[in-house]
Amino acid sequence: MPREIALGDALVPSLLLVFVGSMLLLWALDWLAGRYGLYRHVWHPSLFRIAAFVCVFGSIALLLFQVPPS
Amino acid sequence: MTDTGTPLPASRRVVVDTLYEEAGTWLFVFKTLLAFYLTGWLAMRLSLPAPTSAMLTTIIVANRQSGMVLAKSFYRAIGTVGGALVAVLIVAAFPQQRELFLVAMSLWLGICAGGATFYRNFKAYAFVLGGYTAAIVGLPVIDNPPAVFDSAVARLSEVLLALLVSGVVSDVIFPSKMRDVLRRKARDQFAHFIAFVQGATGGRIAREQMERAHLRFVRDAVALEDLRSSVIFEDAEARARSSHMELYNQRFMAASTTFQSLHHLINRLGKAGRTASAQALIHLYAPIGAALAAPIEAGTRARIFLPRLVQARQAMEANAPVLREALADPTDRRDFDTGTALEQRFVDELHDFVDAAASLEAPRVGASSTERVRFVRGNDFAGALVATTRTTVTMLVLGVFWIETAWPVGSSAMLLATVFAALFAATPNPANVTGSVLLGYVLGVAMGFACVFFVLTNVDGYGLLVAGTAPFMIVSVVMMIRPSMASFGLGCAFGFVNLLALQNPMVFDPASFLNIGIAQVAGVGAAAVAFMIVPPAIGSRWLRRRQLERLRRQVALAAEAPLPGLRHRFESVNHDLFSQVVSQTQAGSADSRALIAWALAVHETGRAVIELRYAMKELDMSATTQRIMDGAVQALARFYERPDAERYLVARDAVATAIAATSEAEHTCVLLDNLHLIRLALLDGESVLAAYMPQMPNPEEIAHAP
Repeated sequence: MPREIALGDALVPSLLLVFVGSMLLLWALDWLAGRYGLYRHVWHPSLFRIAAFVCVFGSIALLLFQVPPS
Repeated sequence: MTDTGTPLPASRRVVVDTLYEEAGTWLFVFKTLLAFYLTGWLAMRLSLPAPTSAMLTTIIVANRQSGMVLAKSFYRAIGTVGGALVAVLIVAAFPQQRELFLVAMSLWLGICAGGATFYRNFKAYAFVLGGYTAAIVGLPVIDNPPAVFDSAVARLSEVLLALLVSGVVSDVIFPSKMRDVLRRKARDQFAHFIAFVQGATGGRIAREQMERAHLRFVRDAVALEDLRSSVIFEDAEARARSSHMELYNQRFMAASTTFQSLHHLINRLGKAGRTASAQALIHLYAPIGAALAAPIEAGTRARIFLPRLVQARQAMEANAPVLREALADPTDRRDFDTGTALEQRFVDELHDFVDAAASLEAPRVGASSTERVRFVRGNDFAGALVATTRTTVTMLVLGVFWIETAWPVGSSAMLLATVFAALFAATPNPANVTGSVLLGYVLGVAMGFACVFFVLTNVDGYGLLVAGTAPFMIVSVVMMIRPSMASFGLGCAFGFVNLLALQNPMVFDPASFLNIGIAQVAGVGAAAVAFMIVPPAIGSRWLRRRQLERLRRQVALAAEAPLPGLRHRFESVNHDLFSQVVSQTQAGSADSRALIAWALAVHETGRAVIELRYAMKELDMSATTQRIMDGAVQALARFYERPDAERYLVARDAVATAIAATSEAEHTCVLLDNLHLIRLALLDGESVLAAYMPQMPNPEEIAHAP
């Protein structure tokens, strides 16, 4: 994946787009968890949320930007 | 800790309590500073052009409650994005025309200030930000228009970075959750109301006490809505239950209004000497009191009231004919029928309310088939217009001054004036607040001077920078959290951070420091002066009169607005207006008493009119009756819009005609009940309407209303 994407002639770092995408994904997960009361089983919901976000963002970013095998 | 058997000595308790309280303060200071320096460090690592503005943002959104921080951040993000877009547009439209540019900018700022006044809650914040972000992005590039895009991107990244850091810090590190406050509040509201109804159905309540109870219910309803709108940002579960919460609140308002009407009716009958029907009605609702006679504090679930209320309703239905037979006089029977209809409506509404409370208590979120209801606010355009004018004029004056004097740091002054004129447009007493911010700002500038030229010149590296600035920051943040010094502390922190102008690498230039410091103080001063010259509408007699008019016009809304969802709309706007005016009048003053009296009258008549219209829609009526009924509803609406003796007579006669017309028609029981209620309210010699009556009607006339 390219490092930068041109949106309307403005170069935007593609990590930023991944970041926004992960935010949306996390928001959906958050909604589901709230809807079905899953946060009851979690000690610290907001810490859990942050951790989940780091996992989502990190894995997507790593998948997209992995170093090509040399 | 060890001697739990004996109570703590008083002196020790004081110490423990103080420490406990102080712990909250220091936790807040710690969290704020952590967010502050973390943001600064990240901003410098990412080499953003102005780390200071990112750091300032963390100060502005700082709050004890995590939900507040998140709510504020959310709207701040929206406002910042919007403001940056507008700034790019304005600069693109007038790149070479500084006059037009300043006019457009002033107009946009004014509009945003108006919007902030119009919406008084967190939505206001988006407008505030939309306004001053445009100024922050646009003003510095006035000499170099092509740089506007970079300026916008820089501002966006700084603010969003700061919001991200503040949000994470306040939500993760020892969050103080508002969800518990909300839950407690809702539970208290429920317990209060049930206890009140139970107490009231036991005996009659004096009008004095009823008004106070009504006031509390109104405040509760609005406070609950305010809390709900911030809690949804911090807690996913609260968000999932948000619509339940709204339904609960709406049903609460409906039930409490009906209860008020019922008690007014019984009081009136009692005063008019119709004790037989009044007593019969009191007997009739006794089962409600019995049904609610269960301790609520002991953690009982709301659900247990449901079958009891159904039973009470059945008991009432069974008792009604018996009690009615016992009344000899046809007028008494008529009054009794009116009261019975009202009581049955109340039981149904109470049942719905308890049902909503029970579904809130349920551990799982129920099916989302609930009614969609919204809390509609009673916002005022005139206040918003005043704010728009004030801000626009301030900006224009400053802009002209800047152009005429060719002040090199004029943009700094203008920026600060913008920020504070927008930030405090919606507070009740902005002149005082801005005044103390100004004083704080001066102190902040002095502290900044000391810090920059005596401390920072001797330090090297970010760790030492933190160590050098933290003492100053702690002083400001501690002041910020004390309610009495909040605005002074905000000004101090703002001035300090703004003047510090942390950069990487740091530049030390005393002359420009002083120039900018003076310009910024002048800007804050300009905002304060503007607030003094064009005082805000909030809290003024003029706005109060407008709000009272608006409240009365609610009857016209009840009479004319389209029916679907009208009940909720009427209730929530009413409650919002009522609580606005109450919060702006002194308790017990003549103003406040008149207002409460009007609110009660409007509430009662408005609800009856709405019920009447629903009933009319379902019945098949002859064209003549329909016309007479419409006439009565219209006459009521006109009277409440502009009350005077003449319209009063028109309304009274129209209602009497309508009663006469419907009495002849078939199946009009519901109509008659509501018309009766309106009639009785109109004739009540103790209500606020008494001033418009030709002479005080004698008790006989009230009783023989039809």
